Formats: sequence, C-alpha cells, structure tokens
Amino acid sequence: MRQRQGLIALAFLAPALVCLAVLRIVPAISAVVESFYSESLLRGGRVFAGLGNYTDLLSSKDFRQSVGVTLLFTVLVNPIQVAVSFLLAVLFTQRAAGARLWRTLVILPIATPPAVSAVIWSVIYRPDGLANGVLERLGLPAQPFLTSPGQVLGSLIVLLSWIGVGYWMLFLIAGIQEIPAEVREAALLDGAGPWRRMVSVVLPLVRRPLAFVLVADTVSNLLVFAPVQILTKGGPNGNSNLLMYDVYNRAYAIGDIHVAQAEVVILVALTLAIVAGQFRLLRGDQ
Amino acid sequence: MKRIGLSVAGGVVGILFFLPLLWVVTNSLRPGSETFANLDPLSWQTFFELRPTLVNYSALVSSEIGRATINSILVSAATVVIGLAVCATAAFGLAAFEFRGRGLVFGVVVLSFLVPFDAIAIPLSTMFRDWHLTNTFTGLVLPGIGNGMAIFLLRQFFLGIPAELVEAGRLDGLGWFGVFRWIYLPLSKPALIGAGLMLFLFQWQAYVWPLLIGTDAQHILGPVALSNLQGQNFTDYGLVFAGAVVLTVIPLVVIAGFQRYFVQSVSSTGLK
Repeated sequence: MRQRQGLIALAFLAPALVCLAVLRIVPAISAVVESFYSESLLRGGRVFAGLGNYTDLLSSKDFRQSVGVTLLFTVLVNPIQVAVSFLLAVLFTQRAAGARLWRTLVILPIATPPAVSAVIWSVIYRPDGLANGVLERLGLPAQPFLTSPGQVLGSLIVLLSWIGVGYWMLFLIAGIQEIPAEVREAALLDGAGPWRRMVSVVLPLVRRPLAFVLVADTVSNLLVFAPVQILTKGGPNGNSNLLMYDVYNRAYAIGDIHVAQAEVVILVALTLAIVAGQFRLLRGDQ
Repeated sequence: MKRIGLSVAGGVVGILFFLPLLWVVTNSLRPGSETFANLDPLSWQTFFELRPTLVNYSALVSSEIGRATINSILVSAATVVIGLAVCATAAFGLAAFEFRGRGLVFGVVVLSFLVPFDAIAIPLSTMFRDWHLTNTFTGLVLPGIGNGMAIFLLRQFFLGIPAELVEAGRLDGLGWFGVFRWIYLPLSKPALIGAGLMLFLFQWQAYVWPLLIGTDAQHILGPVALSNLQGQNFTDYGLVFAGAVVLTVIPLVVIAGFQRYFVQSVSSTGLK
C-alpha cells in the first residue's frame, strides 16, 4: 500500500523534481566540476586543471580587489539597510496621522524591477540630474557620484536601499505587530521611555524576523548585479566591481568560462560562510 | 504633540522615497528634450507638469520597449500558469501521501531554493546554449517554473486540508487526480494566488537571466530593453521614463489587486 502510494506521489512530483534537478541542482554541481577544468588550446578540448583556475584567480590583482570591494560593500550595506528598515518599521507602527499612506510610499519601489530602478537612478545620478539639483537647492556643491572612486559604493548603497528597505520593512512590521498588546502596556506601566521600550521590549521580541531579514538581505546584496552592470560597469578603477558582476564580465566579456565557474564557486562559498557566521552570532547572544 | 512629530517624520520619509518615482512619472509626461530643463534651480515644476502630453507613451507602442513589455507579459503569464501546475502537483504529492523518502524529496525542494538562482544563472546559461534554448521563449520561461519556495508554500497550506475530506472523496469514487483537482485546488485559492504572485514577480523582475538568454529583437524582455536604450549615445529620456512607468505600473496593479495574498506570501517566506 505504502509502495503504491509512493509511486502515485512520485507521478505528481516528477515534473517539479525534474525542473529542480535540471535547473537548480545540476548547474550548481556543473559549476563545481567545470571549475576544475580548463580549455586547452593545443588539444582543442577541455583538460583537467585541478586547482589551477583557483590559483589563477587568487593571484590576480583584479580579482583580489573585487573580493575586497565586495566585502567592504557587504559590511556597509547590510547594517545600514537592516537598521533603516527596523527604524522605519517602528516609526510606521506608531499611531500617527497618514501612517498608512507614508508606509505605502516607502513600499512602492518594490514594484519597480531592480534593473528599471538602476536605469532611473542612472539618470538621477547624472551630473545634471535630480540628485545634484537637490544638492544645489540645499546650497551644497555638485557631486560626481558614480565617477568618483570614493563615492561610487555609497551611491550604489543609496539606490539599493531605495529598492530594498520597503521590502525588508514589511517583515519587521509583521513582527512588531505580533508583539502582544499586554507586553507593551506592561512596559508603559513600568514607566519605560520610548528608547527603553524599543531596546528592551521590541528589539528582543522581533529577533526572528530581524535575523531572517539580516540573512536574506546579505544574500541578496552579495548577488547584486543590475545596478553595477547598468550604472558603473565596475568602475571607476574597479571600485564598484562587485563579485557577481566580475563573474559575468569574466564569463562573457573575457570569455574565460572555466575561471568564471571557479569564481561562482568562491562567491557561493563566501555567501554560505557569511550566512553561517551570522547564524552563529545571532544564536551566540541568545 | 508626539503624534504630530511622528506624522511629520513619517511624511518626510514617505515623500523622500516617493520623489524619484514622482520625477519619473512627471518626466514621462514631458517631451524628452525637457527632462533636465527644470532641475537648475529645482522648483515645483520639477515634480509637476501642468501640460502633460502622452507623446512618449504613443512612441513607446512602436518602440523596442513596447514589444519587450509584451514579451515580459507573455513570459510572466506562461510562467505563472505552467509554474502553478508544476508546483501545485508537487506540493500535493508531498502533502497527501505517506511514502518512503518523502523527507529526502522535501529536502531536495528546500535545498533548491537555498541555492540562489542568480549565482547559478551563468553555469545554467552555458547548458542552455548547448541545448539551443538561447533566444527562445522556452529558454526564458523554464527557470521560473520549478520554484522550490512556491512548492514549500503550497505544501504548508495543503497539509491543513482534513484527511476526512480526502477519504470521503475517495469513497465517492474520485481518483487521486480527482482529489487534487476537485478537493485540494478549490480549497487553496489564497495559497495558489500567493504562489502565483511569487512566480510572477520572479519573472517580471528577472534581469540576469534574460540578459544571458534572450537578447534578439523577438525575445528581449522589458528591463533588458530599457537598459539597452540607456546605454546609447543619444537617449530619449522621455521614452526611458515612459517605459519605466509601464514596467512598474503593471506589477503594481497586480500586487495591489492581490494585496492580501501578497503580504501572506511575503510573510511566509519569513519561515515563521
């Protein structure tokens, strides 16, 4: 009976399992396998290269710079986005006039596809664009944004936060709204001020959604591609050459597919390591 | 007093987030030659147009972006229909049956959505090239239909359907597909809509994959077409902004229409 059930279940599962295997799992394995091979010009085929592609990468100055830029970007963008999302979630769960409307305006950019947002911001960041118009109105000097090595990462972080903060805020608002009213009232009765209530009551009680947001945000920021490809092409001087763009560039502009696969493996390994580290940290102070 | 302060703070934040979109909408209603006219100095006219014109939108219809938008709609619609069929049957297989290896199969499903798709897009595109799927709608649609997250979401919902209903259906002579079709599907509309939204947004927002796999004029998708236009020496920004508005309004209408289910599907990705 159970065996028969198994066969019927398999029939229902088969199309999805084939899709998941072919479209997700096989390419992941193939990236690992291919990263150990290289194209041989002499013999006209692929030959086993062992760790050759990896040592090539590690000895390349451009690759090391790309890793450095990606780590710097990760360390900056994630705390900023999580903190801003949390503060906005707290702000928009207070009773205040128009809170619903203002919240909707923050969520609105979620609907814009990331590549379209990147195109919009490429016009905003032009020397004669909206950003400099606003600065001038405030009496500040015009800024180069994307063409300055010192400002390019910051400019990308602003654009990515415009895209992402509303999305992460949704999870945190859901978390805050699940805090029982009695807990808030008890804190109020105990005379806790707004700051105290946020740090000692709200923050510990939204740990789970907060941890999820931090991890998911980190993963999505490690895979940032469209803004780099559309706005900066990794420049100026490689200062915005995030790993995901470097992989694409290596695979299609340089045409070195095997080394690109090795870089994919490194990117995924880096992602897993950072996510595992975050999990450990979050569990550590429980 | 405190409430006024909170309202003002909320208002400032909301308007700051909204300004870029407002600027885009305003400029989509202006000839492209005037995009940068009202920025120096900034005035209320930067964000409002008293004599709006639809020239950009009518130009859009015959442009590459117009065509690409229709492609995006086709690809997303096909993904939702086929993807829901594939994911719902799989979720049914996982929820309604007891069999050996169920835990293993479920593990594969979860594993598949832990591998970020964009990271494997490049190895996958080399495979698709070998299979001659570049510049085909099949190649564009395929990666969207096997969505582990949608299967997960539907399975959770299916698990809540009482076994007595299934037994009653079986006694009335329904086959397993009949149970799925006449008992599970009708009871699961909210979950199906939530999963459908997830599949739709995955395709509508995709950029890396369509850039790798669909670049000829017949198969280009909206976001790729828009970013191509941006890179040219002479860019008609009126057209760019009109395209950006259309590519934003379509998902916005879909999300707004299914708002309740959107929040559900978002919060269930939080794995509560």
